[in-house]
Amino acid sequence: MPCIIPVWIRHLAPVLWGAAALLAEATNNPGTHWAFEPLSQGEPPQPKAVGWARTVPDLWVLDALERAGIEPSPEADRIAWLRRVHFDLTGLPPTPEETLAFQRDSRPDATERVVESLLQSPAYGEHWGQQWLDVVRYADTHGFEVNTERPNAWPYRDYVIRAFNADTPYPDFIREQLAGDQFGRDAATGFLVTASVLLPGQIGADDISKRLARQDALDEIVVNTAQSFLGLSIGCARCHDHKFDPISSRDYYGMQAFFAGVEYGDRELKDPESQTRREDIRRWKERKAAVVVTLSRLEPLARPGTPTGNSPSGSMAARVAVKARMNSDRFAAVTTRRVRFTVLETNSLEPCIDELEVWDLESRNVALASLGTHVRSSGDSTVENRHELRFIHDGHYGNSHSWMSHEKGRGWVVLEFPEPRRIDRVSWARDREGEFSDRLATAYRIEVETNSGDWITVADASDRKPFEGRNPTADEWELPAAALAKLDPRSRQQTQTLLDERLRLERAIAGAVASQQAFAGIFRKPDRIHLLHRGDPEQPGPEVAPSVPEVLGTVRQPADAPEPERRHALAQWLTQPDQALIARVMVNRIWQGHFGTGLVDTPSDFGRTGSRPSHPGLLDRLAREFIANGGSAKHLHRLIVLSSTYRQSSSHRKAAAALDAEARLLWRYPPRRLGSEPIRDAMLAVAGELNRQRGGRGFDLFDQRGGLSGFKPVESFPANGLRRMIYAHKVRREPEAVFGAFDCPDAGQSTSRRRESTTPIQALNLWNSRFTLERSSALARRVRHEAGARPQNQVQRAFLLTLSRPATRAEEQEALEALRGQDLEVLCRALFNSNEFLFIP
Amino acid sequence: MNPGAESLSFQGHGLLDRRGFLGRSATALGSVALTHLLGREGLLAAQPDVSAVLADLAHPNRPRPPHFSPKARNVIVIFCAGAVSQLETWDYKPELHRWNDKPMPGGPAVTFQGPAGNLARPQYAFRPRGQTGKMVSDLIPHLAELTDDIAFVHSLTSKSNTHGPAENFLSTGFALDGFPSIGSWIGYALGTDNQDLPAFVSLLDPRGVPQNGSNNWGSGFLPATFQGTTWSAQNPVRHLSAPGITRDADQAARRLLGQLNQRHLEEHPGDEKLAARIASYELAARMQLSVPEISDLSTEPAHILRAYGAEDTGNPIKAGFARNCILARRLVERGVRFVQLFNGAYASGGELNWDGHNKLKEQYDRHAGILDQPAAALIRDLRQRGLLENTLVVWCTEFGRMPFFQKGAQGRDHNPDGFTSWMTGAGIRKGVSHGVTDELGRAAVKDIHPLYDFNATVLHLLGLDHERLTFEHNGVQRRLTNVEGHVIREILA
Repeated sequence: MPCIIPVWIRHLAPVLWGAAALLAEATNNPGTHWAFEPLSQGEPPQPKAVGWARTVPDLWVLDALERAGIEPSPEADRIAWLRRVHFDLTGLPPTPEETLAFQRDSRPDATERVVESLLQSPAYGEHWGQQWLDVVRYADTHGFEVNTERPNAWPYRDYVIRAFNADTPYPDFIREQLAGDQFGRDAATGFLVTASVLLPGQIGADDISKRLARQDALDEIVVNTAQSFLGLSIGCARCHDHKFDPISSRDYYGMQAFFAGVEYGDRELKDPESQTRREDIRRWKERKAAVVVTLSRLEPLARPGTPTGNSPSGSMAARVAVKARMNSDRFAAVTTRRVRFTVLETNSLEPCIDELEVWDLESRNVALASLGTHVRSSGDSTVENRHELRFIHDGHYGNSHSWMSHEKGRGWVVLEFPEPRRIDRVSWARDREGEFSDRLATAYRIEVETNSGDWITVADASDRKPFEGRNPTADEWELPAAALAKLDPRSRQQTQTLLDERLRLERAIAGAVASQQAFAGIFRKPDRIHLLHRGDPEQPGPEVAPSVPEVLGTVRQPADAPEPERRHALAQWLTQPDQALIARVMVNRIWQGHFGTGLVDTPSDFGRTGSRPSHPGLLDRLAREFIANGGSAKHLHRLIVLSSTYRQSSSHRKAAAALDAEARLLWRYPPRRLGSEPIRDAMLAVAGELNRQRGGRGFDLFDQRGGLSGFKPVESFPANGLRRMIYAHKVRREPEAVFGAFDCPDAGQSTSRRRESTTPIQALNLWNSRFTLERSSALARRVRHEAGARPQNQVQRAFLLTLSRPATRAEEQEALEALRGQDLEVLCRALFNSNEFLFIP
Repeated sequence: MNPGAESLSFQGHGLLDRRGFLGRSATALGSVALTHLLGREGLLAAQPDVSAVLADLAHPNRPRPPHFSPKARNVIVIFCAGAVSQLETWDYKPELHRWNDKPMPGGPAVTFQGPAGNLARPQYAFRPRGQTGKMVSDLIPHLAELTDDIAFVHSLTSKSNTHGPAENFLSTGFALDGFPSIGSWIGYALGTDNQDLPAFVSLLDPRGVPQNGSNNWGSGFLPATFQGTTWSAQNPVRHLSAPGITRDADQAARRLLGQLNQRHLEEHPGDEKLAARIASYELAARMQLSVPEISDLSTEPAHILRAYGAEDTGNPIKAGFARNCILARRLVERGVRFVQLFNGAYASGGELNWDGHNKLKEQYDRHAGILDQPAAALIRDLRQRGLLENTLVVWCTEFGRMPFFQKGAQGRDHNPDGFTSWMTGAGIRKGVSHGVTDELGRAAVKDIHPLYDFNATVLHLLGLDHERLTFEHNGVQRRLTNVEGHVIREILA
């Protein structure tokens, strides 16, 4: 069965005939297909009404319209163009000030000035970067069942935004995403690993599962590369030769071999800033360790076997309750060779400890394996590279370097030193990185072995306050507030200074650690790649060396080529100056971004089953412009938004629509609904609340991540959540609660073109959500502040802010009518839901 | 059913089916308002086909004719998350008693979660049920009473032994993320009968979301409108009303919006998208009324609540699942096309779903107590109301479990090589058991059916040819069944 099945065969014969013709073309002429041909060098056509044309694209558009017997539409009014170009280039509406200034600007180059300022605005990259992120299905989670956070994905998102803002030449943009580690652009290779991936613990322990998971992971890289840059879907060739495009299974596995050494994972960034940061982190960690030791001397001694009781005096004396992030047990110094930590009770499930530390009198952690200490346990739940017994004293913190007992609620660990040690403190935690707070030991016992072989208890939970299920935030401090209060003023002051310093250091370390890693792939010795029968890893055929699809080029690498050279060779090939297909695909994406539909309306399929271009000569001419200008996207934007084609009115014309209903010939500017991000961003901008902070970790759309009750949406966002939506922490497959319904891609598979659906769920979300109500209140506040108390002025200001125009007399009357006895919010909510607000004019 | 139908044109089929259905259903679906049916007929006169859906996203839920005469109009899928053991439920393997606690000859040394232990006998007693004498375990006594009406498929296989990819595979036909779920394919193909409600509703288990979350009801690259609307007796549809807004303020805003949009429309005549958006607000207003009405189970008589176990105060999770079962019936009654009813939540060491790795018996006792009575009551209730004539009920799980215990544990590991799911209701042959696993229940050996076949069969019952229900995405005509799939004819009536 071929991979292409005709849609809804109503008239079987013609469709089958079409499929047969495609197959015949594919068989007879494996190489000839318009998109693979060199760019045509033809001169522009000479339409009759040539005076209409402003920029090069107009000649082709007008020529095609004249041939079809359709007149172009008249020019849109200035404000419609202004609003259009603002949304198109930046995803935000013009401010009233920008609107008025443009209306007053009678200089001949007023439009050019607007376009230049928009292209220089950082908002440009924030809007156009999103289109690229759609194509590469970027998300901040790993996908699949666990869908856990991918905390260091965002450097790639920021790279894409910056690349658009810097108008990075397209060949560099390609090269950096495939091999940026070799060009000083480390974060760019995030491109390779944007897909969903199974984490080590999710893949079966059996070899068959592992091989399949690896194939799936490599497949995603091949598909992403071919789709994004070449506009070809070659994924079918994983299982069989492509039926319509001249892509064989050998071609497919040849492509896979370029990526055979790429693993999904975090990589340390190597740029100079990251080097400096690493040095800082080392210093801060040293200092923090010293501070913690000083503070620990003030901790109360543990008094095992002394229940705190319920009396107030008892609880005054009690040590603080156990915490998931950090616990410390201090006791009178004792010499021993063995320390036993026994869990007697947990808050849930099998106990888990990320690191057990034992301190000697020189404040040295003598538990470390590196100091020769051995470890035994009652039994382990082992998950490779996550929960293993050896991780309990390896010096690494966090859930993914932890020990888990095999029994619910209990378990023990014995540390045995190579020689007797004199110790006075044990520290331990469930997860010092603060992510997990289940599996916490709420009752436990710490014992040391005496010379005679008896075990004596040095600390337990009996003198701690009872665990109440809540974790104090980031609090590692073992000293109860009551004890702190008892210190003399000077000691208290000193202690407080140390506490503050510790908190500062922690924040600095956490911030710096987060910014030096990027989920940008790990590069290692490449796997051997075999041609797989029907894509089945259990049916390997001959080994395949890296090579590009035969129909497209001849670049090959030896089967034993080292990893970096493979990606480098592929990048070199993709960025050769004569790559017509690659230029066509990208200029088409840019055209689509302005008109909603590309010249080729199948933007990621330039193969034989894809559409032919509506204006083939124009597509090739734009591709030549693109190449001649070094792959500058901004050059194309200028050609397009300043053209007469783009300046046309969007008004519907019955006669023209009868000939070309979808306006593929561009007899008008095709109006379209704003996408999910521009709606949200525009509401915030209009309400005066948009937080323009750029880059960094995304803000949360959900209060709670995964687990038993799923993702609980944030209803009311803090200031950080009022940033542009591209800066949201994108949870794969989990639509944002209000705007997800507006056809926002879920980052499961690539989205080369957003659909534009209209549903009652969209209406419910935009009408009733707290987000809309809060923005309505904010807009009402802004309007009252800017327009004063007079209702007429308020109505006018609200219209100007949301729709970039004053209200007509009739509209003003209706609005005043509605506001009789009602708050201004009523008008604001209606405006945010109005068609005029939601459509690009 | 329709003599001479074979010679009719495609459109002719559609027309005939529709009239036939209307005739049949006038009594069967007594509770569906007649206006809905009339409205439907009016809409159907336009004969939109699926390729037209994309051009008419303003009315995505308009009913569309299937490829051929359907046996079922609606589907309820009871989705047991976490992989139910076939050996403790429907697939009787007496040989396991003989082999209990012995190593499996030639069995794998390592499976998904680690080293394999010894073979283990079924953890529950099996006994013959009904007229057919089908052997079913005591774990699920209520469902066991229904076997005379059920068609079992004992020989299903999955492409993955990992919950996430395997739930993807069951729900979307692909192990990878991002493909449309079966419910959204069906909404895309057929629209739905009641324009006041979504075409596809996913009822979530009271314990939480299933293992693979929204991928089970996502629309992938189909238009967003076709994704499942999540709902449950505990958590109603979101954004049905504006918090803190008075009725007067709401109406004033609504009136003003109408005026704004009307003026705008007059200045932009001919643009259908604008009219469609206005219509979507009207639909939304109707949903604001219809959704709370359906969610209000206080109108159900006491004997119904009792039959489902909806008032079992001793087991609130069971009561919650029972209320979801009642909700499923009410949705189908009102013409919702596809209802997913989840039983089981997220991975939790088998505590909250059917993932019995360690303490299978202890956990299954609890899980079955939640599933059994309510699910059986649902099927009985549908039958008693005549709804089973038009409704297909599917019981499924992502894969099965191994015949041996895991080493050092009292539970079974993942087994994608032979497991059981079943169907009952519209178009299903009663009391059949199709496909066979080997005598230890390790793998399917006869009439093997990858899940593609199971999904192809669901589409077939709805009058859809799984090879012709396609959507172009990035150059590939995608299908629910990829390039595979055969209808399992042996279980059709």
